[in-house]
Amino acid sequence: MGSITLMHYLVLGALLFCCGLLTMVVKRNAVGILIGVELVLNAANVNLVAFGRYRGAGIDGQAAALFVIVLAAAEAAVAIAIFMNFYRHLTTVDVDRGDLLRG
Amino acid sequence: MSSLELMLLAATVIPLGSFLLLALAGARLGKPLAGWVATAAIAASCVLSGLVVVRWQGMDAAARAAARSAPVPWTVLGDVPLEVGVNLDGLTVAVFFMVTFVSTWIHVFSIGYMAGHSDEIDGRSKFHRFFAFLSLFCFSMLGLVIADSLVLTFVFWELVGLCSYLLIGFYFHKPSASAAAIKAFVVNRVGDMGFILGLGMVFWFLGDLSLAGAARRFAEACGDPGSALRQAGPLGLDMATWLGLLLFCGAVGKSAQFPLHVWLPDAMEGPTPVSALIHAATMVAAGVYLVARIFVLLTPQALLVVAGAGCITLTLGALVAVVQTDIKKVLAYSTISQLGYMMLGMGVGAWIGALFHLLTHAFFKALMFLGSGQVIEGCHHEQDIRRMGGLWRRMPVTCATFLIGVLAIAGAGIPGTSVGLGGFFSKDEILAVAYSRVYGDGTHGARPHGSAAPAAGPWAMTETGHRSALTHAVPGVEHAQASAPLPALLFWVPVIVAYITPFYMMRCWWLTFMGRPRDDHVHAHARESALMVVPLVVLAAGTLVCGLVLFRPLVAEVAPAGLLAPTVDGHELHEVHHALMPIVGGAFVVGFAVAIALYARGLSLAAAIARRLRPLHRLLEHKFYFDELYGLVLVGGTHLLKGLCDLFDRIVVDGIVDALSASTVRLARFSGRDLDERVVDGAVNGVGRTTWELGGAAGSLQTGRIRLYILLAAGGVTAMVWLALAAGG
Amino acid sequence: MTGSNRLSIVAAVLVWLARAGPVWARGPRGPGPADWIGIELEAVMFYLLGGLAAVCAVGCVLSSRVVRMALFLFGALGAVAGLYLLLHANFLAAIQLIVYAGGTLVVIIFGIMLSSASAAARYRARPAEKAAGAAVGLLLLAGLVTAVGRIDWSEGIAAAPSAPTVDGLGRALLTTYLVPFELSSVLLLAVMIGAAWLAGSGRK
Repeated sequence: MGSITLMHYLVLGALLFCCGLLTMVVKRNAVGILIGVELVLNAANVNLVAFGRYRGAGIDGQAAALFVIVLAAAEAAVAIAIFMNFYRHLTTVDVDRGDLLRG
Repeated sequence: MSSLELMLLAATVIPLGSFLLLALAGARLGKPLAGWVATAAIAASCVLSGLVVVRWQGMDAAARAAARSAPVPWTVLGDVPLEVGVNLDGLTVAVFFMVTFVSTWIHVFSIGYMAGHSDEIDGRSKFHRFFAFLSLFCFSMLGLVIADSLVLTFVFWELVGLCSYLLIGFYFHKPSASAAAIKAFVVNRVGDMGFILGLGMVFWFLGDLSLAGAARRFAEACGDPGSALRQAGPLGLDMATWLGLLLFCGAVGKSAQFPLHVWLPDAMEGPTPVSALIHAATMVAAGVYLVARIFVLLTPQALLVVAGAGCITLTLGALVAVVQTDIKKVLAYSTISQLGYMMLGMGVGAWIGALFHLLTHAFFKALMFLGSGQVIEGCHHEQDIRRMGGLWRRMPVTCATFLIGVLAIAGAGIPGTSVGLGGFFSKDEILAVAYSRVYGDGTHGARPHGSAAPAAGPWAMTETGHRSALTHAVPGVEHAQASAPLPALLFWVPVIVAYITPFYMMRCWWLTFMGRPRDDHVHAHARESALMVVPLVVLAAGTLVCGLVLFRPLVAEVAPAGLLAPTVDGHELHEVHHALMPIVGGAFVVGFAVAIALYARGLSLAAAIARRLRPLHRLLEHKFYFDELYGLVLVGGTHLLKGLCDLFDRIVVDGIVDALSASTVRLARFSGRDLDERVVDGAVNGVGRTTWELGGAAGSLQTGRIRLYILLAAGGVTAMVWLALAAGG
Repeated sequence: MTGSNRLSIVAAVLVWLARAGPVWARGPRGPGPADWIGIELEAVMFYLLGGLAAVCAVGCVLSSRVVRMALFLFGALGAVAGLYLLLHANFLAAIQLIVYAGGTLVVIIFGIMLSSASAAARYRARPAEKAAGAAVGLLLLAGLVTAVGRIDWSEGIAAAPSAPTVDGLGRALLTTYLVPFELSSVLLLAVMIGAAWLAGSGRK
């Protein structure tokens, strides 16, 4: 176990990001997609904070991460509200049913 | 900031306040009041800008220059500073006043018009929403006029597009209206894509996003043979030309130029005041305004493209307008045609003429659209001119004011004098410059500037001389090509169209107001509304006056003098104008005479001719089949792909399934049920499922499925990551 | 492994932790034996927490029940909070736990419960989609890791801040980031109203 460098965090961030993306792609449940989004945002946050720590960007990385957390919370609230409406209209949370815009 | 700038800024922001007020509390203000609030706001803007015009007229050049203050730094993009300021010059002042003035009277008209048209949806009146959108539009349009940087221009550019979308689709419960709104939005998106790419090129190559700064850098870069802008780009044009052309794309979309003109006729689905304000007088002219502002960024080749696009557009519009029967569609196509004239003017270097035409056109086209609104409203939503006729008895004021508009667009005037209406000066000026560019001997540049003998009429105001882009001040840029004469078509086609314009306008007016009533029901109910007549009279007065005294000197003083060598000065233009008189001076008489001769006895004679020229008539009636063509190519292309996948499904996969089932039958004869059910059914079902999956995966490019979109986006990002890696070595 | 053996290991770790002190609370110090231990501890903690986050994230992808996914998400979020501590972002770690675990996750659980008719239902993606997703995801991951690996990241670790960073963060939020800070408050207000209206409209 050598010392931990920025690379370790970046790789972890990449892993979290890809997992989040995959979650979004393979889950048909609307809430599952939301969970994927949260993972992606967390991956970005890990990178932000790690860069802030290792590249001497002062407090900026943490401040940016803080805003991301705020946005994530807001997004989750709105998304859940939309899903509620979706569920009420289609009595399902299967996003593949929401294809009114198909060509 | 100088007081003039502050006044313009205030005049811009007032409609925004009205928008916010109406958006938040409009429903409470109720039906007439909400409209009056918006009208008061834009009237206040109009008064302010009128004051600016008056003060501007009273200033000398030094005071005018002093009135412009340095822009305020906003932010820094990379190392390119972004500054905001008011682009205070004669053109801004003139266009600003035109927009506020026309808007004010269209607002007044709208109060009368929308009282009967703002259908209620879900039990809620949409009246205040209409005026909220109208206010938002005024704010955006005024912002676009005073913006002094390309970024700000783009912001307001998109805002007016949004307002246009909202107002075209105002009756969104009507499928045709919402389809037209979407069409306008999507078609504009095509143009705006070019605009934003052009912005990117300005950012990259010039590194200055303000209009003045970009022009300066452009001139420097073009003078330096080693600069990146002089590199050859695609299609054998250099980067400088591409930069201008991409920016021009935005204007093509917004000003409904060929090949993106298809949205404007459909936009007539919106309420008529909207057609008058946005789709005739102001927003569609924004494209021409943009070209005027970026004129110095256009190389001679780019200008040739601009002229070509304008030339095609003006021909197309005029020809299609001849056979239209919907009164608004006639006006829409005539708008397209007139916008084509303006673009042609820009392209041939008639900078002043084109802008002058923009200003006069705003007045008479708004006037005619409002007149048509009056007719439509009075005739209970009848828009077909074949069912009108004889309305002059019922609507004398509308009839007279409309006729003034018709005379103005036809360019009526007494040849050889300075008595005439809008188009008489502005359109002829464009033609005059086109003539001198086509048949000039290229020696204009040598003529000492300022030798112009003051002449009578508006030409007397051209002391600054007329400048065209013959020699781009930029030394060495394709000089030989630049001073070569333009193709003769660029002069003769507009001249011929100048004969068609009076014809279709007179046809429209005659069928509507003159002759015998062709539909008793329509005729019996026709009436004029008092509130809607006032704006007609005011705009008619404006049309009469503006061609003579207003605007042209304001515009002329801004002509990009420093950057363009003087080529056609006032004196020569005057001569050319005289020389042109025999060619186009009588065009309106001829056009009117033919139209009246054809339609004096009703529709039968015209119908007979149409029967004779059936294929041509068909072609025009279907607007040259542009919608069908685009439908075929764009929508059809997608369907083709889908069809191919489907075909694959049916032939290859179904073939396998069929073959399998056929062999099943054979096998069944040999084997017992056991084998049949377990193995063969399983296989068939499996293949069937695969078919379905394949078909789903291939044919579902536009499934509306959010997950697939995510997957595709992720795939794109992945590809870019690997490309970047590969490029990075 | 016997019980006493296990106990002794735990005790040893605890003693080690007590001697080294929490790694994030240490100020800049001269080189010494404790430093080496600190670095080792950091590595251990990173692999533990990072591993937990990774496992949970993968679990999110693989599990088909949405409730389990929510639990895995909780694990991942907690692990990331731990990583924040490791990165000297104490305040952020607390916020991560409070806002995410306490807020967002509860919202998600509520979402699952309110659409409970289908909470147990499993919508399976088609195999083709799964394959395509896996291919894209792995390719992207490989690309990102390759890109990260091309650069030498070893140099330049900032000196550990001597005081907890809440102070600096608070200052930054009210000076440098004042406008985004205020904007986010407006956003939250809008979200509150919007979400309430969205969730409530339809019911009447």
